[in-house]
Amino acid sequence: MKFFNRKNIQTIVLLLVISGLLFLAMSGYLTPIFNLTLNPLISMQRWLSVRYLSARDLLTTPSDVVQLRQQNALLESQVTQLQTQLIELEERLGEAQVCFALLDFGRTNPQYDYIAATVIGREISPFLQYIMIDKGTEDGVRYGMPVVTQQGLVGRVDAVIAGAARVKLISDSTSVVNVRLKSAEIEVQLQGSLTGDIFLDMIPLDETVELGDVVLTSGLGGNYPPNIFVGQVLSTQKRDNAIFQTASVQPIVDFTAINAVLVISNFQSVDVSPLIPEK
Amino acid sequence: MSHVVCALALLIFTVLQLTVFSRINLIAGSPDLVLLFIAAWSLQEHVKNAWLWTGVFGLIISVISAMPFYAPLIGYLGVVLISKLLQRRVWRVPILAMFIVTLLGTFFQQAVYIIVLQVSGSPISWLESLDSVVVPSVLLNLIFALPIFAVASELASRIYPLEVEA
Repeated sequence: MKFFNRKNIQTIVLLLVISGLLFLAMSGYLTPIFNLTLNPLISMQRWLSVRYLSARDLLTTPSDVVQLRQQNALLESQVTQLQTQLIELEERLGEAQVCFALLDFGRTNPQYDYIAATVIGREISPFLQYIMIDKGTEDGVRYGMPVVTQQGLVGRVDAVIAGAARVKLISDSTSVVNVRLKSAEIEVQLQGSLTGDIFLDMIPLDETVELGDVVLTSGLGGNYPPNIFVGQVLSTQKRDNAIFQTASVQPIVDFTAINAVLVISNFQSVDVSPLIPEK
Repeated sequence: MSHVVCALALLIFTVLQLTVFSRINLIAGSPDLVLLFIAAWSLQEHVKNAWLWTGVFGLIISVISAMPFYAPLIGYLGVVLISKLLQRRVWRVPILAMFIVTLLGTFFQQAVYIIVLQVSGSPISWLESLDSVVVPSVLLNLIFALPIFAVASELASRIYPLEVEA
């Protein structure tokens, strides 16, 4: 009967409580409690994040340059917008020259609706590339919505609760984005990696990929809208006996320094998985 | 009192980790303050509630994290187990125990993450993970181990004052 001493009973009760909590959590019964628990955490995180970023800016930047920085950011944003417009205009011109204007008639330039959000945290595991933002279902954010900055593509909403959402970056090792190379006019896949670098895969060997070529989303797969700027080709790699070549991409967005993002709220992602034949 | 202090400290370290310390990167590795505090707290001689609060915060972090299968919870419970096993063997040199737990705990946690990610279909390899994530994370955790241990020791000494010898 020594087994049923006080210490062992305490341990058994503790294990039972943890097991019960785990079971309830996995069954989803604790979701309202999690939401209640996480809301103060999110508020605290948002408060601390804003202070941390302010303190970091204060320490790293002379105060008299703040205004210039704002103007510079505004100008950079305008230059990026103009570059995007230029790319779109060149694209339209090229299509008109090959008489695809009619086919392109329906592809009007989409006018996206945005939800601005602040980045309040990053994924705790270094193996994953995720960020947390301070907007959730209460603000209209839904699962699968694409996330961008004024520069280009960031990722898509992976999980969402009432007051916050988790965004999977395109640099995550499990992330795959269908993209196209602007000048080479080929459609390939962009993949993330463990180190956060992004690269193009499945490029046919007979295609010539030029360094500096612009990488845009193709819209294939239904996860992202087309023609969002992703980055530029940095280098290409061809291996002997390989069927495809790969290329490293310099992302337009600095994923380590994202402070604010825009969620595209009027894009409906399409789940094409039922159309993919089972192996 | 011990429960309140432990819960508050873990809450603060969780928020700090998500907000500030996840941005500190060495290659692709980053420090884990929650792991370090759990290790340091578990090593304190009179602390009895390490399992309980590790379970609670492991569960919360598992919900926040994108890691599948409640991997953070498994990782943190493993760290407590290592701490408790080592506490009985090298209890006379707690700093040494802290460094050993940090080293073994980080390796254990990262191994759990790699296995869980591989099971869930992520294309990551052991060698690349070791080079880019595990070793840099271990190094960063060892750097932060000492200050976190000092904080945990100070908290424990205030909650459990030293017994006066008769």
